[in-house]
Formats: sequence, C-alpha cells, structure tokens
Amino acid sequence: MVKRKRAALLPSNLALLQNLIKRDKDSYVEDFLQQYKHFESQREIFLLNPSDEYSEDFNDLVNFLAHVSNLYPKYASEFPEGLIQLVNENHTRLNAETNDGLIRSLVLLKNKGDISPEKLVNVLFQVLISTSSKAIRHICYSNLVLTITNANALNKNPKLNRSVQTLLFNLLQSPKDGLWAVKITRQLWRKNIWDDAKSVEIMRQACLHRDTRTSVSGAKFFIGIDKEKEEFLMDDSSDEETQKELEQLRHRMKYNKKTSKRDKTIQKVAKELKNEEAKDKAVQLNFSALHLLNDPQGFVEQLYSKQLGQGSPRHTLEHKIVFLNLISRLSGMHKVVLLNLYSYILRYLTPKQLEVTKFLACAVQSSHELVPPETLQTVVEKIANEFVSDGVSSEAAAAGLNTIREILARNPLAITPELLQDLTAYKGSKSKSVVASARGLIGLYREVAPEMLNKKDRGKEATEKMIAGKTSSLPRYGEEIVYDRIEGLELLEDREDDDDGDDDKWEVASDLSEDSDDSEEGWINMESDKEYEVSDSEDEKEKEKEKGESAPKAAVSIADSVMAKRILTPADFAKLDELRKQKIINEKLGLNLKGDESIDPDSLLGAREDKLTKEEKIERMKEGREGRDFGSKKGNIDHHHSTTNREKARKKNIIMMAHNKAVKGKAKRSLRLQQKLLKHHMNRQRGLKR
Amino acid sequence: MSKLSTASVRSNVQELLEASNKKKRNFLETIELQIGLKNYDPQRDKRFSGTVKLPLVPRPNMSICLFGDAHDVERARSIGVDAMSVDDLKKLNKNKKLIKKLAKKYNAFVASETLIKQVPRLLGPQLSKAGKFPTPVSHSDDLYQKIQEVKSTVKFQLKKVLCLAVAVGNVEMSEDEIVTQIMIASNFLVSLLKKHWQNIGSLTIKSTMGPGIRIY
Repeated sequence: MVKRKRAALLPSNLALLQNLIKRDKDSYVEDFLQQYKHFESQREIFLLNPSDEYSEDFNDLVNFLAHVSNLYPKYASEFPEGLIQLVNENHTRLNAETNDGLIRSLVLLKNKGDISPEKLVNVLFQVLISTSSKAIRHICYSNLVLTITNANALNKNPKLNRSVQTLLFNLLQSPKDGLWAVKITRQLWRKNIWDDAKSVEIMRQACLHRDTRTSVSGAKFFIGIDKEKEEFLMDDSSDEETQKELEQLRHRMKYNKKTSKRDKTIQKVAKELKNEEAKDKAVQLNFSALHLLNDPQGFVEQLYSKQLGQGSPRHTLEHKIVFLNLISRLSGMHKVVLLNLYSYILRYLTPKQLEVTKFLACAVQSSHELVPPETLQTVVEKIANEFVSDGVSSEAAAAGLNTIREILARNPLAITPELLQDLTAYKGSKSKSVVASARGLIGLYREVAPEMLNKKDRGKEATEKMIAGKTSSLPRYGEEIVYDRIEGLELLEDREDDDDGDDDKWEVASDLSEDSDDSEEGWINMESDKEYEVSDSEDEKEKEKEKGESAPKAAVSIADSVMAKRILTPADFAKLDELRKQKIINEKLGLNLKGDESIDPDSLLGAREDKLTKEEKIERMKEGREGRDFGSKKGNIDHHHSTTNREKARKKNIIMMAHNKAVKGKAKRSLRLQQKLLKHHMNRQRGLKR
Repeated sequence: MSKLSTASVRSNVQELLEASNKKKRNFLETIELQIGLKNYDPQRDKRFSGTVKLPLVPRPNMSICLFGDAHDVERARSIGVDAMSVDDLKKLNKNKKLIKKLAKKYNAFVASETLIKQVPRLLGPQLSKAGKFPTPVSHSDDLYQKIQEVKSTVKFQLKKVLCLAVAVGNVEMSEDEIVTQIMIASNFLVSLLKKHWQNIGSLTIKSTMGPGIRIY
C-alpha cells in the first residue's frame, strides 16, 4: 500500500527519488532512466528555443542528475560532458537562475570527481568573463578560488596552476577583464597557494595595464600583500583542533584524580603542539612578491614611464601615490637607479601639498647608496628650503628634518657640510619636536662623519677620534663595506687571549684599540687598522714600537685569526652576539639602513607637542567617562527644590532691608576696611572674568 | 654543536683535489662553496648580504676594467689592466647593447673617484643590474693592491632561492690555503645569519667540473 503510494509520487518528487536511489540504486534504474530521458528532451527544447524563462523543474532535474549520475556510469556517462557543453555554448542566452543552477551542478560533479578541475576552471572562466550578472560573477569567482585552493590543498598541482595562470595572462590582454586576473591572483597569493614567480609576473603585467583599476590594484598588491598574507597566516596558525584537545585534557585533569603521569601527558601534548607549530612555520617558504620580481630595474622603468611619465594617463593623486610608493619601494629594495624619479618627487615636496607625508615617505624609500649624491642633494635641498625654514610651522620643520635624516641615513653623501650645519642649528629651536629631529640628525652624523658637523656638535667621542687623526669614515660613493673578518670577532679573540694568560701583552692592547675602532668603522680595511693603532697610544715610545710591529701583525691577522683556524661553534657565536650587543651603537637611533622596509608616513612627523585645546580636553574627558556613571545612583533628586535662604535674601525687598544692621553697618566701616574690601572684590571680579 | 670540524674539511678538500687531479682540465678549475639555508623565512627575517675579503685571490683570472681619468688610465696600463677613459664611455652613447656587452666582458669594474659619480649617467643602470657597480679608487690608493682586493672579495647575497654559492679558491692552491679560505668564508657567512648554524642546511664544496662534496 505504502509502496504504491511512493511509486506514484516518484516522478514528481525528485528529492525522495534521490534519497531512494542512494540507498538502493539497482531497484530504481527505471526511474532514473525516465528522468534522464526527460532531461534530454528538455534540453533539446531548450536548445531549440532558448527562452529567458526560468524553469524551476529543469533546474531541479539537473541538480538531481548531478547528484546521482555517477551511480549509473553505464547510462549517464555522457551527462557531465553534455552539461559542460550546454553551459559553454549557451550561457549567454540562458537566464541568470538557470546559469546559477547549472554552475552549481558542475561544481558538484567536480567534487564527485566526474569532471577534472581543469575543465571546471575553463568553464568558470568563460562564464565569468561574459556574464552580465553580478551574482553569477561572484559565484564563478568564489568557485574558481575554491577549486584551485582545493586542488592545491595537499600537494601543489602545477599542471592546474600553470593552465590557470595562462588563462589569467590571456585575461590581462583584454582591455576590461584584467581586474579579475588581479583579484584571483591576489586571493590565491594571500592564501599562500600561489607563491611562485609566475604569479608575480601576472601582477607585474597588471601594473602596466592600460586600465586604471587593474593597474592600481596590481600596484596595491605589491605594496600591501605581505602584511595581508601575514595576517592570514597568523589567523590560520592557531590550530583549533589540537588546541581543543589540549583544553579537553586540562579540563579532565581538573576533575580526575591528579597523578604525575597525567601531568606528564599534558606537558607532552603541549610540547608536541608547540613543535608542530614551529615546524609549520619553518617549512613554508614565503618570499615577498617584491623579491620575486624578474628584472626589477626594467619593471621600475616601465612602470614609471607608463604610469607617471610623459604621456601617461591622468591619475588621481591617490593613484599617483600608490604607483610612486611601489616604484620608490622597489628602487630602495633592489637598488634601482632611476634618475627621473627624483625630479618627479621634487615637485610634490611642498608643505602645502596634499598628503605630503606620503611623498616624503616615498622620497625616503627611494634613496639608497647607489643613487648619485648630486641627485639626492637636490631632493634634500628642496626639503630643507621648503620645510625647514623660518615662517614654516614647527610641525613641518620637524617632518622635514626627520625626512632628511632618514634619507641621509641611507646615503650620507647627499648633503653639503654647510647645509648640514644650517640644519643642525635647529637644535636651538623653541619647538620640542624640531629640537628632537635636529638632534637626531646630529646623532647620525656623529657616527658617520663628525667632521661635517659644527665643532660644538661633534660630541666627546667623535672629537677624540678626530684629534687622534682618524680620517673620515664616510664611505665613498659606490664603495661597499668589505669585511676582513666577522664584525666583533676581535672581542672574542680578546676574551680568549685573556683566558690564555696574556702571553703577548701588547697584542692584547692593540686588540683593545681595535675594539673601539669597530664601533663606527666595522673593519673597512687593514690600513685603517694600522693607522688607528698608531694614533691611539698616548706614549710616544710605545707608538714607535707599535708602528714597527703592527704592520706585520695586521698582515697575518686575517689568516691567523680564530676565524681561519677553526670553525666557530654555536657557543662562540652566542658569546660573540652577547659581546657585540654591548657595543651596538648603530641601533641606538633605531635607524634601519637596509632598504627593505616600507616607511610609515606618520613616523616622519615629529613628536606631537602642542598643548591640547579646550575642545580636545573636553573630548578626552568625555571619552574617559564613557560607560561610567557619576553621582548618586538615584539621580539628581531635587530638581524642583524650594528656594534657598540665599535666594530669598537676594530677592528680598530693599526697603525691608535698608534699616537692617548689616546693611547700615557697611557705610559705617572704616575707610581702610572699605578700601581693602573693595580691592578684594575687584580682584575677585577680575579672576572670575578670566 | 656544529658538526663541521677542520679535520673533516681537510679530508674533503683532499678528496676534491684528488678528483680534479685525476682528470686535468684545460683551464683553472675554481672551487666554490655552495650553501643551502634552512629555517629561514625570507620575508620575516632580514635579508642578509655581506662582503668579505679572503686572504688569497680565489679566481686569479678574473678580468677587471678601470674607468678613469688620464692619470688612472696611465697607471692601469702600466700594470696591465684594461682601462677606459670618459671619452671611451661616452662613445658607448648609452647604447644598451654595447653597455651590456661591456658588463659581460669583465668580471668587475674599478673607477676613479672623480669619475664614479658620472657612471650612472654615462652607463645607465646596466652595470648595477648586473651587480658590477664599480669600486672607487683614489689617486692615493695603490692601484695594484686595490685590484687585488677587488679580486679577493666575495659577496654573499640571497637572491630568489634559499641557496647561494661563492668562489673560494682554485685547484692550484695548496690544501692548507683552500681549507683556510673555506673556513673564513663559512665562518663569515654563519656570522651573518640570525640563528647561525641553525640556519645552515648544507655546505658543499665543488670544483668547476668535479663532483660536489658535502661537508656539512
């Protein structure tokens, strides 16, 4: 009875049929075939007359077949292919809902393994480009990303990646669809699924795209993706499941009997967890996209000429900053020399320029030691003229000085002594932030080239060295610091010599002198060593002696040092690090001489110094009050109280008071008292007015 | 603890020399040190680069060219080093192909102090692109010594992959010399790394045509 009922329902109730087929496929072959034929005929009708009408029946039918077709490979082996063909050829003519349903079914088939990811990706791409519906585009995009992510989940799937990347390259050729290539690549890069040079190449081409939206989003990718990716990985790294396990164990420990064995297990699990996390972190190889660029010099030149140079499209200021930021970052990082860039930045360096701090940051980022000093000098001079002069606000002066300091930290040759001395004179400014910035500049040059500073500013250490006759430590243009040995190695050797018991006394002495040497020089070459040894000793005789012996000593020292004799062990390095840490001066200023980082524009502004205005004070007060109630919980009770005695006294009729003793007495006071009270009253009035 | 000891390096060097002696090549084989890094996140950790001067010249046949004023050109000619004057450089006319050719022809460049500031203008970015930006030399420097210095410096720099290689010697050097060079190079490299030996995945020495021999 029941069965007959069910059978009657089956042709119309597809969900039920699907359920039954999944339970027992052999008994429902007939029903399936019936539905399959129905689908075929429906499709024929569709193809003959592809109307815009949405038929729910057809969608349900497709969905049903996608669910069960793999159970009947004998009958429905052509179903997936047919579906792909249907979508491929007709997706422009079909309406949105039908397309939606078809795509969902295709994804389902891919998940079941009936379609390869490559085929699905191909179809999705086609629909993505040509469809006009936003919803479908969104579905296609998310499914594309998901498909590629899943295909790369366990192992990388280079074949799929390559084919997708080729498709993306093709997308970039078209004038409008380039944005999708950027979006997809960005998403996959963020998820750490793609991390190769080829995807970077896609973004590189996107940056040079004609369409502004595409090129800007390409540039933004390079600027911001590292941070984004890190954030994504940070979220990911807290492995929830294992964490949960540990929590459960801990919870159990609370109530179960506490034994040392259980304690140990917890510790063990915690340790394993930690190890696993560490392993994960170490394994992933993530080069920044900026580092993976092929031919950065060429890219920077192209980008400049295409987006900022002559004949480039007119970008808004915001977009210009994006491109400029990318260009300057690349040129700092890869030591690219692009001389036009500096004259371009020059024109935006005025205090009144919108977003001037960003331009200042770009100026800093783009400077490095291989830029010809003359070029950077113009930039520094312009900043000095525009920002650091009388009649400019202290804020601007501080920002200007900070920027100059950062530029000079990267290329100390880019300023003349006269200008430097002019700038350092701002240490006497009234504004605190300007003073701080000027002092920063002085501090920098005390280390780099004290002779360029005013005599007063040199400081004790630097002056002593100059008196001792040390030549400038300013590196010449194009010169690279070449080390003879590990920086600070002499500290280690010195230590070991001490342990040996000083068999050669003045060798120790010379080593000591070398110690102080290394702080600003870092062993440029042997000559300077020698010179220094000679000059440092106070005693004339010793000087002679040292001069005689230090030369051969220096000659053998490289080959003879600890470094050449044996392999330094980790313990040695630990000691070395420790010793070196005591002497670190370079980091005192927090200056980073490497060009890798991006500069935060706000960091260039000086310390905030102006007092708070009244409005700001009130604002802060209110902020502190938020979420707190003051006064009585019952509220202010007597809103409508009766008049006070004071009020009554004030409003009392004067006639009634005129003969009062208190009033009459006032006139009878002594003159002195009257004057005194009047003065007091006036003072109070003045105080109140203020 | 580091697993690398002087004795093991020495035996490996012996092995390497033996291999190269077995089949003499028609040129001077260079010995290079190849380094594989591990536990190194190129994005988070600072990218390191460092230049060290080795006691001996690893590649004596390195070709060097000097850009100089008249005085320096004269000096260079006298010690048999190729030299180019400003006029020669101007003749290149910023022609990319010619400059590239020039950059390819020589292993390193030296330039007079007076001239070096003009190099980016005269030659464009091609030289720094090839990593061969000239080293400055002043009139007071001893040119010969300076050139020897340039020849004997090696640069450690991480590129797009987590491995790097530098030339440390050649097969004509004595065993002791090679061992010293390797020690200095590897010690220096390890000192550059944040976690020192924990960052080193492998060290391999290899002569140009010989097999690679892993020493760490």
